[in-house]
Amino acid sequence: MPIGDGQNPLLKVGALGAGYGGMLMLRDISLEVRRAEIVALVGGNGAGKTTLLRALSRVIASTGSIEFDGRDLVPMTPDEAFGAGLVQVPEGRQLFDRMSVEDNLRMGAYRRGDQAAVSRDLDRMYAIFPRLSDRRQQIAGSMSGGEQQMCAMARGLMAAPKLLMIDEMSLGLAPVVVEQLMDVLAAIRGEGVAILLVEQDVHLALSACDRGYVLEAGQIVREGMAKELADDPAVRRAYLGI
Amino acid sequence: MDVGLLAQILINGVFLGGLYAIMALGLALVWGVLNIVNLAHGAFIMLGAYLSWYLYAGLGIDPFLGLPINAVVMFMVGYALQRGLLNLVVRAPMFNTLLITFGLEVVLTYLAQLAFSADFRTINPPYAGNSIALGSLVLPQARLMAFGVAVVLTVAMWAFLLRTKLGRAIRATAQNLVAARLYGVEPRHLYATTFGIGIGLAGAAGGLYGTVSQINPYIGATLTAKCFAISIIGGLDNPLGVLLGGLVLGVIESLAVLYIGATFADVASFSVLVLVLIVRPRGLLGKAA
Repeated sequence: MPIGDGQNPLLKVGALGAGYGGMLMLRDISLEVRRAEIVALVGGNGAGKTTLLRALSRVIASTGSIEFDGRDLVPMTPDEAFGAGLVQVPEGRQLFDRMSVEDNLRMGAYRRGDQAAVSRDLDRMYAIFPRLSDRRQQIAGSMSGGEQQMCAMARGLMAAPKLLMIDEMSLGLAPVVVEQLMDVLAAIRGEGVAILLVEQDVHLALSACDRGYVLEAGQIVREGMAKELADDPAVRRAYLGI
Repeated sequence: MDVGLLAQILINGVFLGGLYAIMALGLALVWGVLNIVNLAHGAFIMLGAYLSWYLYAGLGIDPFLGLPINAVVMFMVGYALQRGLLNLVVRAPMFNTLLITFGLEVVLTYLAQLAFSADFRTINPPYAGNSIALGSLVLPQARLMAFGVAVVLTVAMWAFLLRTKLGRAIRATAQNLVAARLYGVEPRHLYATTFGIGIGLAGAAGGLYGTVSQINPYIGATLTAKCFAISIIGGLDNPLGVLLGGLVLGVIESLAVLYIGATFADVASFSVLVLVLIVRPRGLLGKAA
């Protein structure tokens, strides 16, 4: 454990650049996520949000520095980054559609050895997501979109992450369902897990997070407390349609 | 109609069907998880039969007691083959996988002919001729034992896929490779393990086949075709579906032999295949995606 947990951010990205086949998609990205913090990464379609996630989880190479939990993430493979506690809930949920909810959650813990701890975490998930508790044996693909998103988030948490990166959590879901998910985010934070919420829905993301970063054409153009960003005239004009 | 004869034919068909099921199980597993229709599957059954034959004729190991040895050896062969060769075509276009496994089938068949000669052989343990009389019905002991082992192995596979961590990972990878990788499944090891299990099952099935039927190097191609039909009839999802598919095929073939003649047995079974494809393309126990 690094000394002075309170001050050191969990994730510290400095001057990161990344792209595909010589085409630079991200330039000079710097951001931080502290422990048990909910941070929004917002931006329009094609701004580079998913590319940034891929770089953080080491699926694609990048320049610059990434420090996670006191360790250098840059030389790690995707597997090692996952093992270090950087876990992704992918866009489109990517559940194991024909497996039960419980089997999905257990797959999240596939790499964990301590079965007693896994069983305890399973009970914790059912406490955080009571809807899933009623549907343990239901086939995941047969649930509603909101329930499937809960299942995907619970599966991610079963990997015992330090940082959970959620890609497009609200996509395709009714506003009332999204509100329930927002309450769940608070519960996850209560468990000491930090969240990086990657969203196209800027208004939604900024209403639920502590801080935010606005990504535009591969660069961070605004950052700050979520409330300040939501009040920023430029952000309001560009994303909130006000 | 002679009821006693019909009952005997049904019994024979069920025994044959159990054997078919254990033969097809490995093919269905590999097909479902790796998306490879292994045209060499029957050739591996043939190799398993010879392995049991040599264990019995050479070392005096009973063919049933030798099945675990057979399965473990064939598992290792399958694991190595997948790691070294077939990983090249996992999730490749179907044509490539057919080409490479067909080549494998040809090579294995002719290597077997060189190594074992084209002579017909049978594994003849002392109890090979024994049978149990049940009223007017005759239950040949070796066939009964082979059927029992086949059912136990099929149910064991079902429990393994449903209840164990590795079984869960195999199903998960078949359903969503991207998500499985995301949560730490190492596909190359998992694919090789799955293929090894498929070939291990083929080996065990071959050992059972050798105790109830004659073996020669050329039995593979026909068996592959039957396994293919059973996998489609039963569905790739569920070993119990494969068991049902095997029983259906075994009973239909036996009835066809009795009522329309032995030459039409394959016609009858492949007609059922076509019928299932038309009426229930997901297989008898297959679930909607």
